[in-house]
Amino acid sequence: MNNLKEISTRLKIAKNNIKKVKEKNRGSNAASLGKALKISTELVAAVFVGSTIGFLLDNWFDTKPLLIICFFFMGVAAGILNVFKSAKKMNRKS
Amino acid sequence: MTINPMHQFEVYKIGPEINLGKINLSFTNASLFMTISAILILSLLFFGTKKKSLIPSKIQLITEMSYTFIAKMINDTAGSGAKSFFPFVFTLFMFVLFCNMVGMLPYSFTVTSQIIVTFTLAAIIFIGATIIGFIKHGFKYLELFVPKGVPIILLPLIIVIEIISYLARPVSLSVRLFANMLAGHTMLKVFGGFVIGLGLLGGWLPLGFTVALTGLEILIAFLQAYVFAVLTCIYLNDALNLHH
Repeated sequence: MNNLKEISTRLKIAKNNIKKVKEKNRGSNAASLGKALKISTELVAAVFVGSTIGFLLDNWFDTKPLLIICFFFMGVAAGILNVFKSAKKMNRKS
Repeated sequence: MTINPMHQFEVYKIGPEINLGKINLSFTNASLFMTISAILILSLLFFGTKKKSLIPSKIQLITEMSYTFIAKMINDTAGSGAKSFFPFVFTLFMFVLFCNMVGMLPYSFTVTSQIIVTFTLAAIIFIGATIIGFIKHGFKYLELFVPKGVPIILLPLIIVIEIISYLARPVSLSVRLFANMLAGHTMLKVFGGFVIGLGLLGGWLPLGFTVALTGLEILIAFLQAYVFAVLTCIYLNDALNLHH
């Protein structure tokens, strides 16, 4: 029983310490790096997907290179939209 | 002797060639390291939950921490409605994390540096989330592609852009994990090659870099598993709760 009590006080102290540390370096942790990595690929992926769709449709309708140009720019727009969306999500959270 | 930094990503088969119709089902080094990761996860969870003491041992602590970590993440990003997807997200996170971490060991193979592996995982998530969205909301799920307050003239363009941005999800999810692992391991190998090439005289600087990069790579390995799991939760959230 004594052992348990000791542990509960130690837990309390440890939790307080964690809280202090968290308040100190809020926003400067690894999660921010994760967010940065996340946003950077989002832009590229949408451009890639847009261009691929354009390429496939071009092959299908035999309209080279009209659709790939259109869909490339739509991909760029979609990429920017994606980045915008996730940035907005981050803003809402913090 | 030349050192090829891309040599480590070569997939080769171990044992006999197995063909099922036109599908090549041979056991490769990638399958071997996936199996190793799965066995490691299972043994961690088995030994971690074997002796449920009030004062946890180290292995029990790791198991409980990973449980609460994922449970909290699902609760924060996807809401309490996504609780039933905990087993899926937990499995996914542990698998990616262990594949990344096993890949950090010398002479091992990094499964997640193969685009086909990461893309398969991402495609499962993407298709699964889409099906869940349609089951939950029916055809109302298509409203995801129609943002509110857009003039009707612009609507065809916006819908196409939204569809592209939706289709980009699995690509960005898989490319992110794959590119990070590939780039990191190539860099480690290149600096390792410098150490050999420069010898005792000048090899100390790249050796220091290699040590620092190894630390960074371990951080990246954890971070990418985390990002993968968080994004899964975000996509599940979109499918379950349907708001932009």
